[in-house]
Amino acid sequence: MSERVLMCGNKALAEAAILAGCDAYFGYPITPQNEIPAYMSRRMPEEGRVFVQSESELAAISMVFGASATGKRAMTTSSSPGISLMQEGISYLAGAELPAVVVNVMRGGPGLGNIAPSQSDYFQATRGGGHGDYRTIVLAPSTVQEMVDFMPLAFDLADQYTMTVLVLADGILGQMMEPVVLEKKQSKRKLPPKDWALTGANGRKQHIVRSLWLADGRLEEQNRKLQTKYEQVLKNEVLFEDYRLEGAEVVVVAYGVAARIARSAVDSAREEGIAAGLIRPITLWPFPTERIGKAADKYGLFLAVEMNMGQMVEDVRLAVEGKASVLFHGRSGGGVPAVEDIVGILRQASGSGGGEKGVGKRK
Amino acid sequence: MPKLQEMAKKKTAFSSGHRLCAGCPVPIFTKMLTRVTDYDIVVGSATGCLEVASSIFPYSAWNVPWIHTAFENAAATMSGVEAMARVRSKRNGNAKKIKCVAIGGDGGTYDIGIQALSAAMERGHDLLYICYDNGAYMNTGIQRSGATPLGAATTTTPAGQVIAGKQQQRKDLSKIMVAHHIDYVAQASIHDPIDLSEKIKKGIELDGPAFLNILSPCVPGWRINPDMAVESASLAVETCFWPLYEVDSGDYTVNYKPGKKRPVSDWLLTQGRFRHLKDPQWAHLIDEFQSLIDEQWDWLVAQEKKA
Repeated sequence: MSERVLMCGNKALAEAAILAGCDAYFGYPITPQNEIPAYMSRRMPEEGRVFVQSESELAAISMVFGASATGKRAMTTSSSPGISLMQEGISYLAGAELPAVVVNVMRGGPGLGNIAPSQSDYFQATRGGGHGDYRTIVLAPSTVQEMVDFMPLAFDLADQYTMTVLVLADGILGQMMEPVVLEKKQSKRKLPPKDWALTGANGRKQHIVRSLWLADGRLEEQNRKLQTKYEQVLKNEVLFEDYRLEGAEVVVVAYGVAARIARSAVDSAREEGIAAGLIRPITLWPFPTERIGKAADKYGLFLAVEMNMGQMVEDVRLAVEGKASVLFHGRSGGGVPAVEDIVGILRQASGSGGGEKGVGKRK
Repeated sequence: MPKLQEMAKKKTAFSSGHRLCAGCPVPIFTKMLTRVTDYDIVVGSATGCLEVASSIFPYSAWNVPWIHTAFENAAATMSGVEAMARVRSKRNGNAKKIKCVAIGGDGGTYDIGIQALSAAMERGHDLLYICYDNGAYMNTGIQRSGATPLGAATTTTPAGQVIAGKQQQRKDLSKIMVAHHIDYVAQASIHDPIDLSEKIKKGIELDGPAFLNILSPCVPGWRINPDMAVESASLAVETCFWPLYEVDSGDYTVNYKPGKKRPVSDWLLTQGRFRHLKDPQWAHLIDEFQSLIDEQWDWLVAQEKKA
């Protein structure tokens, strides 16, 4: 199946998960991701795999825990309020070092919020989300094709590092239709054997999967082990995209749907003679801190564009370490940044003392 | 009990202008809440059709104080409200007694909300919990719930060549609530306003926890015409799929016994969600459905005799 087909993001992601070898899907209704469980309820039985609709998000993530403990590829999907309910389970998955894929098709919050697209779960996603000292890998697709491409990547990363991988999409990506190519790809990664899986201890030593460490100092030791693993992720798995950075006076930083809009804004600005570029973080954790830090050596002004009131901008500020100024433009609660608004900010900023260092102002 | 004509003249808890679907019978019972009783009431909703359609900011269809938090916790939120109301009356002897009503759909009650519901009933709050059972998560686009009947097609139990819709029978929540040994548990239907209004009145006015399960057909979810909700509910009762009964301090009363019990296929095959059952290969499912109903009906009638 390598021809282009027109699919909505949610359905394309579901089919991609099947192609990526998802053995079990557990989910609970919530808008705007209902197409995923609906699609899975039909396709998973066709493939002889598992679909279960749970009685709550808390149950869905616990089902993922149970299935993953047997060494199978398990996933769940939800949207912001449902992901909040899953945080307990995600923390337990981190503690027990079980692989899992969790998709968040973000909607507006806090509270019941609305069902419009949003990026306001950035803090929750990139800081662990639940209790305890842990991280989750966060992938941020900005096209339906990336929603597809990130599913095998998500399962591979989850298996390789035995941790939760969050795919952070939003209501626009979930609902919009784009042409996609759905292909089963052979993984290039050398994945470790699941020699911890609970498959029945008949004839072998028992396996223990747990997150409770009561002996004095034992939990600290475990958390250091997790940290070592996270350092490997930070070192090896950062993904980002540079766009039109040559001679940039202002560097826009945006991910997901906001990055698509930012890209259009950069193009419009360039047409006006404003030297704007874009760095698009693809992994939000690990964040492309080093890339942005290096960019701050060269470029004097950054503009973070998000569909929230300012979350990723904190990571951008941490990355530039005071070497450059960081502006922010955000829309929240279902608001989507407009190309004209971003261009307006770029227009104003380009004459305000940023600019490529050592090159000076263009105007 | 006032006559329906008199009731209709009283101020309603639920105004027009809400955004429930055309033909949705839910307002039949929400309108009754203040008409059946002279008590002041506070209503709390779980996330669901009623909650969304009655509270699209900046509008509200509620003429009474109304509260919503999330999906799983209407009974817990109202436990908090009721506890405060109780303390208020205790501290201020003259305060007019406030009665609390929690409302959830079957998804928010049978599934995600059952923990909060069970605990609120067990603690004994002076609270009427109303479940409007339309047999699936209709608000999010018709996903199966613990209340979805055997064989029904939903978007997560699609009917195909191999699998005929939902594979499990629905859970009997009313029975689960009876097992809480609370003062009052009843099943009602939106097609019988006299029975329904009496049960709402009883549930609100008694001093203690009460649970009312109301069958409320869903036009898009059941795939029926917008003018069919009342008739479909009536058929559910005539076929004994949805018996009207009440359990008052443990004593069962069956409020309506059809003269001649109609076959369940009369109810099933008038709904699009069971359309696939017309295929002869699923005839055994209809038989299974019928025998489940017969068994439950006989059990229910036997309970009444015991009392």
